[in-house]
Amino acid sequence: MGVGGLATSDMVLNIGPQHPATHGVLRLKIVLDGERIVSADPVIGYMHRGVDKLFEVRDYRQIIALTNRHDWLAAFGNELGIVLAVESMLGMEVPERAVWLRTLLAELNRVLSHLMFLGSYPLELGAITPVFYAFREREEIQAVMEEATGGRMHYMFNRVGGLREDVPAGWTGRVREALTAVRRRLPDLFSLVSGNDIVIARTRGVGVLDAATCAAYGVTGPIARASGLDLDLRRDQPYLAYAELFAPGGPGRVVTRSAGDCMARLEVLLEQLEVSLDLAQACLDRLETLPAGPVNQRLPKVLKVPEGEHYAVTENPLGFNGYLVVSRGEKTPWRCKLRSASFSNVQVLSEMLPGHLVSDMVAILGSMFFVVGDVDK
Amino acid sequence: MSLVKGLVTTMRTAFRRTTTKEYPDVRPELPPRSRGVIALLEENCTSCMLCARECPDWCIYIDSHKETIPAATPGGRERQRNVLDRFDIDFSLCMYCGICIEVCPFDALFWSPQFEYAEFDVRDLLHDKERLGVWMGTVPPPPALDVKAAEPAEIAAARRPPRGTGLVGP
Amino acid sequence: MSTPVNLPMPTLGPVTAYAPAPIRVVLNWGRRYSLWVFNFGLACCAIEFIATSMGRYDFMRLGVIPFAPGPRQADLMVVSGTLTDKMAPAIRRLYDQMPEPKYVISFGSCSNSGGPYWDSYSVTKGVDQLIPVDVYVPGCPPRPEALLQGIITLQEKIAAERITKDSIAAKQPARYAATRTASAAEVTRPLLQRP
Repeated sequence: MGVGGLATSDMVLNIGPQHPATHGVLRLKIVLDGERIVSADPVIGYMHRGVDKLFEVRDYRQIIALTNRHDWLAAFGNELGIVLAVESMLGMEVPERAVWLRTLLAELNRVLSHLMFLGSYPLELGAITPVFYAFREREEIQAVMEEATGGRMHYMFNRVGGLREDVPAGWTGRVREALTAVRRRLPDLFSLVSGNDIVIARTRGVGVLDAATCAAYGVTGPIARASGLDLDLRRDQPYLAYAELFAPGGPGRVVTRSAGDCMARLEVLLEQLEVSLDLAQACLDRLETLPAGPVNQRLPKVLKVPEGEHYAVTENPLGFNGYLVVSRGEKTPWRCKLRSASFSNVQVLSEMLPGHLVSDMVAILGSMFFVVGDVDK
Repeated sequence: MSLVKGLVTTMRTAFRRTTTKEYPDVRPELPPRSRGVIALLEENCTSCMLCARECPDWCIYIDSHKETIPAATPGGRERQRNVLDRFDIDFSLCMYCGICIEVCPFDALFWSPQFEYAEFDVRDLLHDKERLGVWMGTVPPPPALDVKAAEPAEIAAARRPPRGTGLVGP
Repeated sequence: MSTPVNLPMPTLGPVTAYAPAPIRVVLNWGRRYSLWVFNFGLACCAIEFIATSMGRYDFMRLGVIPFAPGPRQADLMVVSGTLTDKMAPAIRRLYDQMPEPKYVISFGSCSNSGGPYWDSYSVTKGVDQLIPVDVYVPGCPPRPEALLQGIITLQEKIAAERITKDSIAAKQPARYAATRTASAAEVTRPLLQRP
C-alpha cells in the first residue's frame, strides 16, 4: 500500500535502447514503485559486434584497426593495450622515443575522453552550455592528433614495435600551443560544471557507491577512485613511461575522492583532466631531451607470435582495459579476450539505482561514464 | 552576482571571433596525413595483391592478367608483365586504417584528405581504378618529419657506401 | 482503461503532388532548409555527429535542426554507427513513425554496409537492408565536413524532387542493396531469458 492508503502496483519502465540519456544504445529495465526505483536491470547487447571473434581471423596489424573501435572515445588507449600484449609476448623492446610519444598521445586521448564526458554529463542534467566549451577544447586537441595520426577519432597509429611513423616537423610545438590554449580556457568549463548550483544540487549525495561494491563488481577507473578505491595502473603497474612520470616528485598523481557520489565522480574527472595535461606537458619536455632515434622496429614480413598467452592491462580513461591474447604460434591469435572497463561499470547500476528517484536515474547513469561499444564489445 | 558574471561572459564571447568554419564556402585546411580517400597511381601498381590480402575487411578487389612483352633485342628473353584490369576499393566497407597504403611495396596507393564523395547510391561508393586515379590530383606531399626523427630507411640506405652489385657494365 | 486515440499518420496533401513548378520550388525550398534531424546515434560516428552540431561546424547554418524531440517530429534521420541485429527492429519502428516526406542519411561505413564488422555474426550488413537510404556518407568515421557535404547533397536532391504518392511508394520496396526492406515485426526476436 502506498501513501495515503492508495494501492500502487509496480510499474516496469523501459529506458532505451534509443534514449538520449544512455548516450548510445543501452537499455535499462526499471521496476518502479511510484517514482522510486525498486530494481534496475541493464539489458546490454544492442551494440554487440562480436569483436572477440573477429580478432581470431585477423593478423596482429589488422587487429589494431578493430581494437580502435570498441571504446570510441579512447582509441589510442585501446590500440596500446593490444600492441603492448603482443610486444611482451614477442619480448620486443620499443625505442625510447616511441615510448614517450605513445605516453603523450595516450594522455592527449585521455583528455579528449574526459572532455567528452564533462560536456555530455551536464547536458544530460539539462545544462546545454558546457558541451560547447568541451567540444571547443576537443577540436583543439583533435586537430593535433589528426595532424600526427591522420584520424580524428580512430588513430591507427600504434604498431607492434612502436608507432606507424614519426610525427611531422613542428608538431610538438603545436601540441604545446594546444595544451596552453586548453589550459587557459579550462577554468571556464570548470566553473560551468562544478560551480553550477543546479549541477551540485543534482549530483551531491546522489548515487553513492562504496568502495567494497566497486571492488566486488570490478569497477575501475575514475568511478572507483571517486569511491575511495585508490587504484591506478599507471602508478601501480606502470607501463610505457608512467613509472618515471608517477615517481615521487613527478607530475603524475592519482586523483581520489571518498564521497562516492555523482559529484565526486565529476570532480575526479575534472581533476584528472588537469593531471593529464600536466603529464602531456611532461612528456613533451622529455621528448625534447631525448636523442634522435627511430619510433618503430623492423618487423618480419609475416609476424607470428610465439605460443603462449599473455594478459596485458592498461589504464584507459574509463578504467582497466585488458587483452588476453592466446597464441598458438600463428599469425592470428587463437583467442583474444577483451576486458573492457565500461562493462563492469555498467553492471553495478543494478546495485546503485534501487532506492533512487526516477529523475536521479539520469544523473546516476550519466555519472557512470560508460561507452556502449565498450560495454558490448 | 552570478547573473552579472554570466552576462559579462556573454558580452566577452559576443565580441570574440567565431569558431565556426563556414565549410561549404571556406575549404577546410586539412593536414596532409588526414585520411579522407585512397588514391591509386596506376602505373606503379604491379597487381601484387598485397593490399587486398592485408586489408582488415578485404574491401579491395583486384583482377589482372599476364601479358608477354616481346624481347626488346633480337635473341633476348621475353618478359612477362602483370596488367591491371580492375582495381576497386569499396569505400562503403573501408575502415580507413591505411594498412593498404603501408604495405604497398611500390608506392601505388596514397592518402588524400579529400572527403567529398557522398553518394545517393551505395554502389557508387565502389571506386574503380579510373576514379581512384582522379584522386591522385588531391594527394598532398608528405609532411617533413620531426627533427628528432630517425632518417627514413631509403635515405639511410642511399648514404651507405655503395657495394658491388655483381652486375657488369653501367 | 482509456480507449486508444485514433490519430492518423500525417499525410501529404494534394498541393505538394500537383503544385505547379514555381510553387513546388517554394515548397521544396522550405523543406530543404528546415530539416529537423533525429540522430540515431549508435556508435563512434555519433560522436562526429555531435561534433558537427557543435560550434566549430554548426550544421544549423544549413538549416538542420537537431532538436527533434523524437522520430514523430523529424524529417531527417541520420543513422550513425553500427547497426546490430538486436537493434534492427528498433530502427525500423522508429523509421515507420516518421511522417512523410522523410529522408535518411547513412553516416559512416558501419551503417553503409556493416563496415569493419561486416563479417560479424551480430551485425546488420548495412542499414539499407531495413530502411531506404537517401545519402550514403563514406568514412570511418567520416569527418564532420563530410556530414555537412552529405547534407548539402541531400538538400540538392530535395530541391529537385516532386513528391507524390508514387514517389514515396517507389522508395519503399526493395532496392538493390537487399532483396527487401524488412518490417520491424519481421526482424524482431524475443529477448533471451536469463539462464
